Amino acid sequence: MKAIGLIIVVLVGALLLYSTEDFPSWGDPASPASVHVAAHHLKKAIPETSVPNVVTAVLADYRGYDTMFETSVIFCAGLGCFVLLRLFKKRDDDSYYRHVATGITLHIKKDKIPDASSEFERIDTLWTPYDLIVKNVCRILAPFVQLFALYVIAHGHHSPGGGFQGGVILGASVILIAISHDMRTALGRISEKTVHILMAVGVLIYSGIGALCILMGRNFLDYAALSRILFTDKIEARSLGIFGVEVGVGITVMAVMISIYNNLSSEGRQDEGL
Amino acid sequence: MNHHYPVLIVTLPLLFAFVVSGTAWVKKSLCFPLTVAGMGLSAWFSICLLGQVATTGPVEYRLGGWAMPWGIGYRVDTLNGMVIAVVTVLAFINLIATRKTVVQETPDKTGAFYSLYLLFVVGLTGILVTGDLFNLYVLLEVASLTSYALIGMGNGRAPMSALNYLFLGTLGGCFYLLGVGYLYIMTGSLNMADVATLLPPLFKSSAIVMAFIFCMAGVSIKMAFFPLHMWLPNAYGNAPTAAGSLIAPLMTKVMVYVLIRLMLTIFSVDFVFVILKMGPPMVWMSSLAIAAGAVFALAQKNLKRMLCYIIVSEIGYMMGGAWLGNNAGMTGAVLHIFNDAIMTLCLFLCAGSIYYRTQGLEMERLKGLFRKMPVTMACFVAGALSIIGVPPTCGFFSKWYLISGGLAAGQYAFVAALIFSSLVNAILFFRVIEISYYGDFETHNAHGSSGAAVMESPASMLVPLIIVSTGLVVVGLYTGGIVNHLIHPIVLKAGFSG
Repeated sequence: MKAIGLIIVVLVGALLLYSTEDFPSWGDPASPASVHVAAHHLKKAIPETSVPNVVTAVLADYRGYDTMFETSVIFCAGLGCFVLLRLFKKRDDDSYYRHVATGITLHIKKDKIPDASSEFERIDTLWTPYDLIVKNVCRILAPFVQLFALYVIAHGHHSPGGGFQGGVILGASVILIAISHDMRTALGRISEKTVHILMAVGVLIYSGIGALCILMGRNFLDYAALSRILFTDKIEARSLGIFGVEVGVGITVMAVMISIYNNLSSEGRQDEGL
Repeated sequence: MNHHYPVLIVTLPLLFAFVVSGTAWVKKSLCFPLTVAGMGLSAWFSICLLGQVATTGPVEYRLGGWAMPWGIGYRVDTLNGMVIAVVTVLAFINLIATRKTVVQETPDKTGAFYSLYLLFVVGLTGILVTGDLFNLYVLLEVASLTSYALIGMGNGRAPMSALNYLFLGTLGGCFYLLGVGYLYIMTGSLNMADVATLLPPLFKSSAIVMAFIFCMAGVSIKMAFFPLHMWLPNAYGNAPTAAGSLIAPLMTKVMVYVLIRLMLTIFSVDFVFVILKMGPPMVWMSSLAIAAGAVFALAQKNLKRMLCYIIVSEIGYMMGGAWLGNNAGMTGAVLHIFNDAIMTLCLFLCAGSIYYRTQGLEMERLKGLFRKMPVTMACFVAGALSIIGVPPTCGFFSKWYLISGGLAAGQYAFVAALIFSSLVNAILFFRVIEISYYGDFETHNAHGSSGAAVMESPASMLVPLIIVSTGLVVVGLYTGGIVNHLIHPIVLKAGFSG
């Protein structure tokens, strides 16, 4: 079996080498890829969309429809992890609690779990050491991470960045809280329900802007249609439309990151985990 | 409004999918009606679009308002118009028919299930409607990812089969993407029509030949063309009922459409049949696929797995027809996409209806079912007759075109394989019918479910099932109209002589 695999790999490799023979040479300015569609985008991006970062203009405007479905792919991934991993069953073993004032750990039988109180906090069965410094540093760091994430989303017009990258950083800030504290703290800040609704809201913003363009009398995702409600000219409307969809992308990516992390690290129970 | 049809077919279910997924956390009972609304609107617009395309010719749509090669464009002619219509209508019927099985099999995740259901249909319609090679890949990703998740929701070994499917499916997607990458390097464009005009001077180039081979390999994996079918029986057999009867009839047919689109519109008939001369070897492969699928189906003890191997065999029909390289063969292949989707759905719905009552589809559990579930089994017989190819049903007509195409091309092995598989299908289905007609339910049912509990499925399952099985005959009777108005214009335009 291994030999067959090797033969196939060598054969496909040889075919790949054979096919490169007719490729345009490396970095050739006259190659078809650099003179046809790409050249048009490079030349027209700024006059047509007023977005200095051509990558963003292609990604979110010329081929914005693809990006909407890429965001949907992320949404599907989040939903897929949810349906495959999530277990709606309570853990049926014992729990551990810490007395906040003294730091004493208590082992409590499963049928004697007390009501919520401010004097005891639940800790994970796989006990993680209580570390004041790590906890507080991460807590203080989180808002700065989030601020940077917003910058990355908003600055996609001018520099590398945008909704996907910014969304991941936003999600990372919440995951940081979950890692440094525990999953229940993170879920207390942003619950599973909120995460799932945000997941849908983000892509809904993207596709909703597209549908709004139809309602305003132009084609799907033709941001120029928004000029009337944004009180700008058509080119500036394109730039603002791109910003709108980037925000949608950011929200979905953030929520999906959090959801996948929560489901994976808690084996789908969403109560204990790193 | 009229000119927005192509985009509405794709984006309305998309919008509804997100709304359903959010609503699931607020009010669960709204999920199903919202899904029905999204799916119904999509099906309605796709029928309107087919009417529009059939009367006024191909329709184009510019997304984002950008002119064709610069932005993404949709292009609908009668070929994809009719496949879109059949996909959305069948998905709608399946949605209605399987409501109770979804509640039975995935009770606490119905919201997510319906959201994935809609997104899967979005993926398929997006693949069908698009005129852009890369957009096709993105939608292929949407359809694949959602089908992995839907299949993984099943019981038992379903997650394992989904993982297996994921590995092979991703490989298929990568091959297709690599092919598109080659095309982009050589032409600098992703628009199908634009690429088609830029390609002819490059036909002798090795890179273009490789691009074609990669696209074909990717699509063949995705459509489970023998011997690349290994993922299919487990994935479709272990999926939840509603997901199985959605994905099995539609996904492979859509991939056959992609193959035909690549052959006819992008690479052109000249390149495929005259320059590469790939027709005869591929017809041989298809004959092999037909025979192998039929033989494997004979070995199955489970009804659903038997149906899965029949799909493998049917893929061989369509591949063979497409590669025959003549008018009748191509017409038969396109017609068979249309017919096979309907008859596979009919059989899978019957299997789902039986499973809903018996909780198992092993052959011995089918004993005495004709008395317990007469309507379901009558519809099963209709579907079976169509797969075998008995005249008034639609399966006969596409098989007729395929056989006459095979004779015209002198491919007697393909004709022999078709006749062989028809005979095997007859044996397969009459075995099932014999067991369920003559077997005595009470005495032979060794498994836990008591005989008294098994009765006819609820009307919400039977009515869609009856509609589909009458559809088999109606479509069969209208074959002439479908071929003359929808298929022939495409086949003749591609360069096959009448």
